[in-house]
Amino acid sequence: MKKPARMAFLAAAVLAVFVFLLAETLVVKVKTTTVRSAPKFTASVVAKIKTGDALEKLAAESGWIKVKTKAGLVGWVHATAVQAKKINLSAMDDTMQTQASAGEVALAAKGFNKQVEDKYRAGNPAADYAAVDAMEKVKPTDAEIEAFMKLGHLGEYGGAK
Amino acid sequence: MSARTKALAAAVLAATLVLAGCQAVKQGAADIIASTGKVSQADAESLVKTADAVRTSFAEITEEEEYYIGRATAALILSKYKAYPNAALSGYINTMGTAIAYSSDRPETYGGYHFAVLDTDEVNAMAAPGGFIFVTKGLVERCPDEETLAAILAHEIGHVAERHGLQSIKKSRLIDAFKLIGGEASRQFDSETLAKVTGVFEGVLGDVVETLVERGYDRKFEYEADKLALSFAVRTGYSPGGLSEFLAGMEDNKPSGPAAGWFKTHPSAADRLARVKSGIGALGEVPAKDAARTSRFSAAVKALR
Repeated sequence: MKKPARMAFLAAAVLAVFVFLLAETLVVKVKTTTVRSAPKFTASVVAKIKTGDALEKLAAESGWIKVKTKAGLVGWVHATAVQAKKINLSAMDDTMQTQASAGEVALAAKGFNKQVEDKYRAGNPAADYAAVDAMEKVKPTDAEIEAFMKLGHLGEYGGAK
Repeated sequence: MSARTKALAAAVLAATLVLAGCQAVKQGAADIIASTGKVSQADAESLVKTADAVRTSFAEITEEEEYYIGRATAALILSKYKAYPNAALSGYINTMGTAIAYSSDRPETYGGYHFAVLDTDEVNAMAAPGGFIFVTKGLVERCPDEETLAAILAHEIGHVAERHGLQSIKKSRLIDAFKLIGGEASRQFDSETLAKVTGVFEGVLGDVVETLVERGYDRKFEYEADKLALSFAVRTGYSPGGLSEFLAGMEDNKPSGPAAGWFKTHPSAADRLARVKSGIGALGEVPAKDAARTSRFSAAVKALR
């Protein structure tokens, strides 16, 4: 067997094992979200997690994924908040160089980001970002949503058909 | 090791190295593919190049990018219209909207869903990418109860869930953006690239804002959002009749003059009404209206009347 081919085979074997090990790892893709005690948004909070946090996938059920956090806490996240961890060798080099968490690096997509927003804002003072920030600040709490559902006979509090 | 196994192993390695996105290993990958003797060096290089191609469609816009496009779109909408200053109404609409989003196909977005009432008599509703949703005072005034407002919010959440706003971005512009972005090695742009990327960003916003505020979505997106609105509203526990009632009201009593924003950006209410009615017919048993919801709705919108 020629040397390059043997090297290729070995590398592929090593990578296959590596891919297998990473297969069940998920990364949070939203800014912040919550790991909950049951697969529904009204369930109690197990942990708060943020972009780039890595989670171990344990099970899946109708749009929800059972996960284990880095701290070992087990609960449920909605599938739309996470993505499968991408294998990115160049990102791994970065990890070693910068000591950033693997998740952060995997999600550190370049593109339309804060830097672009800042540049855009500088040239477009009429765009009312202060009003957008105010809009983002309004965040109903879990308790408020639960009370709203209860009073309005919605969701699990629903009755009349 | 057979030639076939060799070729396979080489291909796996090459693909992995290409994914790694490192220039030095890319050349190595091409060499390895070529070394199998199945393809020429030139072909191998072009294969690697193809696999390394930059993103090409709206579907590949990341959640974070969608969020920044949405924020800027919202900032432009809020420079044209002011938010109606009423904390109680804002709390009500955000709680309702979040509850509906939780029952939607896309409950989580990068920055979450946020809702605002715009202080204008125009009758309209708009959803900026990522979950910034607006309804006008003129529209809320036309809603007789919580069911109808819930249907409108569910329709707008449908646009966000299906990323309809992002689909209004011109393809050529996306390709320009991805080319610029793809060529950069780090998350921070140098000042020359930053100026170019920001220029493309402005173009993207032009496409999205023009569609949301002036031109309206493609009709098929409106029908799709109506369909999703029925489904999301019913899953939340609302009667689906809210949507047909609103559309019937729009048909019977068409807004005119400056209030006509809705008709600029939405297909005819009669067209939609017929489809929505048949959609409701297909749902089977659905939740009924509820007096407790109607009375809290009246209290929340009192300030507007």
